[in-house]
Amino acid sequence: MTLWHPSSDQLIEFSSGVGSSARNIAISAHLDFCPDCKRQVIESESVAAVIFEKQSPVAVADHGFAQLMDRITSQPATSPAAKRTAPSRFPPVVEKLIAHGTESLPWRKPMKNLRVSQLLTDEQGLILGLHHMKAGCRVPQHTHRGHEISLVIEGGFSDQMGSYGPGDFIHLSTEHHHSPQADADGDCWLLSVVEAPVKLTGPLGWILNPFLKA
Amino acid sequence: MADSAIKSVRDNIGRVMTEQQIELREHFANQLEKVATDKDTRAFEAIYSHFAPLIKAFGVSSGLSYQGDHLPEELVQEVMLSIWRKAHLFDRRKAAPSTWIFTIARNQRIDILRRLRKYQNDLNADDVWDLTSDTDLFGEIRDTRIQKNVNKELRNLPMDQKQIVAKVFLEDKSHQEVANELNLPLGTVKSRVRLAMQKLKLTMGVNEL
Repeated sequence: MTLWHPSSDQLIEFSSGVGSSARNIAISAHLDFCPDCKRQVIESESVAAVIFEKQSPVAVADHGFAQLMDRITSQPATSPAAKRTAPSRFPPVVEKLIAHGTESLPWRKPMKNLRVSQLLTDEQGLILGLHHMKAGCRVPQHTHRGHEISLVIEGGFSDQMGSYGPGDFIHLSTEHHHSPQADADGDCWLLSVVEAPVKLTGPLGWILNPFLKA
Repeated sequence: MADSAIKSVRDNIGRVMTEQQIELREHFANQLEKVATDKDTRAFEAIYSHFAPLIKAFGVSSGLSYQGDHLPEELVQEVMLSIWRKAHLFDRRKAAPSTWIFTIARNQRIDILRRLRKYQNDLNADDVWDLTSDTDLFGEIRDTRIQKNVNKELRNLPMDQKQIVAKVFLEDKSHQEVANELNLPLGTVKSRVRLAMQKLKLTMGVNEL
């Protein structure tokens, strides 16, 4: 169980299927760690289903069902993907994104003991990133823009606000000045959701803009 | 005396409605299982007859028709195809048929909208919004309780809350988009949604547990 969660508004938006893809992927990964938030999502889906059922029906095309059956008989289903047997290291949604393993990702190494990889940019311009901090690595003091998110998916780190472990969903904003340090007993892997880079000057600009192409 | 008579009539109505709902739920759970095990096309047609017009309504509410007249019907086809192919993932111990079908409709809508916006990434909606993962032993009990309660409480909800909840769940709008459309502060939208969800989900929890 974790102390740091998506807000209830974010969980409701997730349940209704709206919002940033990058944020929703981070929430999906959090749900893998957090039965409480998972339950809230399922409860919202139950509520939504009743509202869905109470809609006034809209007549469908006359030949709709026949057309559907034609499609079903003419396009045999691709066989369902084999069930995963071994438990995966990261949440399934993350495993799917890094299907070829972490070593085949394009990494940038802004400082010793820290590397970052950009997994995707979503429709709102938010970037989903993967961060790998070596055990004990400390990132210099910095702040964040807008509403950014870090989700611990392996290991842990600490900053001035607290200590975080797997599944912790940390909201970061301009008020959050911190210098995170990975736990000493193992590497820390994070998913991050950050706004698209803007060119910043100064020696520590790269922390705010880990994905800015030099 | 009169009060208690009224109360008993109310209770009976409540019970009758619930039995009908449970019957409907059992019926469609059976049909889904027939599709899963026997590829039963008559069962599938029964599901289609009931749910296709609701899925189409959902497509229209989501504004799909503004982007193409054929799109709500396309959503129906995609959702029904997905039901046919994934029926084996339906588990009546975890969710009502309507809840499961809603989640498929939501996921297919997400994929259609992405295609329209020409936005792609390596994941389908089904990878992010898992259709299978409720492992809770009390899933069905909770789902039944909530559905019963929502049916009862929806009509008591103040108009402003009802409107916002419908926008959030049916119209593909973020809280921010709802705020812009209704010209309300974002915080007001958030608190109305939260209040409404509390009433819909929790009132009954307090009464019956």
